[in-house]
Amino acid sequence: MTASTKVHVSLEQAKLLVQHLESNEQEKANELIAEIQNPINSELFAEIGKLTRQLHDSLMNFQLDSRLNDLATADIPDAKERLNYVIARTEDAANKTMDAVEAIFPVVDTLQAQVKSVTPDWQKLMHNKIDLSEFKNLCRGIDGLLTTTSVETEKMHGLMTDVLMAQDFQDLTGQVIRKVIDLVREVEDSLINMLTAFGISSDGTLESKQPGERKVGKNLVEGPIINTEERNDVAANQDDVDDLLSSLGF
Amino acid sequence: MKVLVVDDFSTMRRIVKNLLRDLGFTNISEADDGSTAWPMLQSGDFDFVVTDWNMPGMQGIDLLKNIRSDPKLAHIPVLLVTAEAKKEQIVMAAQAGVNGYIVKPFTAATLKTKLDKIFERLG
Repeated sequence: MTASTKVHVSLEQAKLLVQHLESNEQEKANELIAEIQNPINSELFAEIGKLTRQLHDSLMNFQLDSRLNDLATADIPDAKERLNYVIARTEDAANKTMDAVEAIFPVVDTLQAQVKSVTPDWQKLMHNKIDLSEFKNLCRGIDGLLTTTSVETEKMHGLMTDVLMAQDFQDLTGQVIRKVIDLVREVEDSLINMLTAFGISSDGTLESKQPGERKVGKNLVEGPIINTEERNDVAANQDDVDDLLSSLGF
Repeated sequence: MKVLVVDDFSTMRRIVKNLLRDLGFTNISEADDGSTAWPMLQSGDFDFVVTDWNMPGMQGIDLLKNIRSDPKLAHIPVLLVTAEAKKEQIVMAAQAGVNGYIVKPFTAATLKTKLDKIFERLG
């Protein structure tokens, strides 16, 4: 502070001060000193005022950056919901897969047991050591095996299709996670911009980085809709899609 | 019948391929986005296209529009199988001339129904 050098005491003021002191008028002397010091105070106040305004403006700009506000109040809670969706979908897929596999095991076991039951008679036939009653028994066994195989393999086919279909989570969760990664990148860029604005980093390489380049139609293409029941601009399921298409004469 | 399956996720291509094979389509090729699919369509004699919407490079809706505006390819039926479910998008796809729209996640039965409908209409 160089303010002290700006204090000007005139000769009249000095004489007056001595006069006040000599005549024992302490109060008047104090007043005079306050008056002499006043220019310092007003400059100091002006300086503080300016700083306060700057601080206030900075805070206001900070709040007015609505993107930051959106990030904090909408996008991040939305990302949490999206990640919960990933958990739900992957868990669902794992359960569906295991359900199907567990249902396939007994089917395979049944077939194996029937094969085992006809094997002794079959071995006798192969070695020409079978008698008529054993042959009849073998025929009944083979007949049963053929019927079971036909029924059970069809069941297995259906279950295996279920396993296959349960893998569709990978596509959906992959898309959701990509969206969240984009958000994280945007938050990162916003934080860097904020640091730059407050002059904490003046690294030129940071400024050359544009926050997440926008694709054309970015707002149109959205990926899996998680909160279908809260929205009326989306089809909640295939039936909704079919209804909409048929209303268009499709 | 020669089918082209377009999706950026290989797992989804595999699912669709397996389901199609189950339904009797054995001649199936794959592409991972519209820009990979486009030259394949130009040079191959495909009879049917199943495509996703949201893909890097050329998106499914643009692939559909390109197919419809190419005299050689315009007749090919296109089925969209996508997670995109905004009404605006469904209307857009219908206006662009899509033959069927399946929203993910979907079932094997839905795919069969839509395929039957598409080929029944084409005769």
